[in-house]
Amino acid sequence: MSFAERMLKIDRRIIFVVIGLCTLLPLLYPVGLPIKISSEVRGVYDYIEQMPERSVFLLSIDFDPASKPELYPQAVAILRHAFRKNLRVVTMTLWVSGTGMADQLVTQVAQEMGKERGKDYTFLGWSPGGTAVIINLGQDLYNTFPSDYAGKTTKGQPVLDGVQSLRDVSYAVSLAAGNPGVEAWYVFGKDKYKFELGGGCTGVIAPGLYPLLRSGQINGLIGGLRGAAEYEILIGQKGRAVAGMDAQSATHLAIIVLVALCNIFYFSMRRQARRQGERS
Amino acid sequence: MATGLTLCILSFLYKDNPLFKLAEHLYVGVSVGYTIVKAYDTVLVHLIFKPIVENGEWVLLVPVTIGSLMLTRYVPKASWLSRYAFAFIVGVGSGLAIPRTISSFILKQIEDTVRPLLMLAPGGDVTFTWDLHNPASSLNVIIILIGVTSVLFYFFFSVEHTGPGRVVARTGVMFLMISFGAAFGYTVMARMSLLIGRLTDLIEFSDASYGRPTVWLALVTIGTLIFLSRRTQGEPPDQH
Repeated sequence: MSFAERMLKIDRRIIFVVIGLCTLLPLLYPVGLPIKISSEVRGVYDYIEQMPERSVFLLSIDFDPASKPELYPQAVAILRHAFRKNLRVVTMTLWVSGTGMADQLVTQVAQEMGKERGKDYTFLGWSPGGTAVIINLGQDLYNTFPSDYAGKTTKGQPVLDGVQSLRDVSYAVSLAAGNPGVEAWYVFGKDKYKFELGGGCTGVIAPGLYPLLRSGQINGLIGGLRGAAEYEILIGQKGRAVAGMDAQSATHLAIIVLVALCNIFYFSMRRQARRQGERS
Repeated sequence: MATGLTLCILSFLYKDNPLFKLAEHLYVGVSVGYTIVKAYDTVLVHLIFKPIVENGEWVLLVPVTIGSLMLTRYVPKASWLSRYAFAFIVGVGSGLAIPRTISSFILKQIEDTVRPLLMLAPGGDVTFTWDLHNPASSLNVIIILIGVTSVLFYFFFSVEHTGPGRVVARTGVMFLMISFGAAFGYTVMARMSLLIGRLTDLIEFSDASYGRPTVWLALVTIGTLIFLSRRTQGEPPDQH
């Protein structure tokens, strides 16, 4: 068996160990590789930055713990930014399995920023219907969510002063791990009720959302852990996402090297087989 | 708990084992249980029971009745009643989704694809912009035009892809490959992010302030894997 053949039949657990080490070592010993801010992430940041104080900002936390590593840092960074700008933050989720996590996330960041539930922010929780919830919110927020997640009546909460429906929202961002998510918010929300919309998503669904960004249907897109790291840099509060970027770069480099090596071994084996064929 | 379950799941990378199965079954069970409890509490208690009993909103019985008709699927003689519920859902769903989807994904995207190739600059001059970073630049408009038409031609099977048609179809394939490559790259990035997330937690819980659960549980997991591996070696091969 030739060297190339042996390498192509290598125990896959060795590759797992290589990837594991490439992830673990930069986490333990960070290098601090530079992070360039992309225009799509800046789109969301700039819009929030120019919003006047006490504007209504809606954050839909459309993911569950399975996508936490990518979207949780995005949510933390956006919430910190919105609270720092003294916006009225209305949060909710379209994913029933993410309800508890979303409540914990919003409460934790609000406490850290010294914000008061009901006055500066609210978490409406989850309501059944998926995309129908967005349509209902466009008609009457209080019918869709008669009470918030804590059980308090939504009508009369200072944070919702002057808010009757989605038409009264200045800016909405959906942090989505799938459907219902950014697309649903555009189709049943922005397109109908005319508010500005931004998106955040996992790396898997990001390529599918770029057409919406290009056409201006969404004004910004935070893609995966990389997007979260860019947002953390923009707000000047480095967190988990920035810490993970060295590891991300190292694993990508390892994968590129492995793909290149596999191709070299594959073509070398093909050449050997051709030579053997010519000899016989 | 989180550390232990993470290590159990990661143990699958060595080989399939009972620890992984335990964590997998726990995940499925907890997810389904959580969803059922949340749905019961939100829908049945807060959106149906309380408004009817406390506020006298009897009109809610109409959607409740329509929804309940779905359960007649379990009674063969009355299962035809469920068709009314499904007809209602399909009708309303299609009515809501079709116009909005056409408007958002077809018309808007066509509008964005068909952009002018040349720009009219102030002073009446016609300009051609080369900026690749600007989605509306003339160069990007041409790339998109070539991409869209060649990919559409590739999926047009009424004409044999020979001669100039072959060149166009091959161009379409190249655009598709670039698209698949970008999607795969993003997927790899996402999966690596998940690994980074779990390893970050494992590092955090290896701290002395938590009692170093990562270290102890890693030892237990490795020990269990060695024990299971030795036990399997000692067993006679499966006769089935």
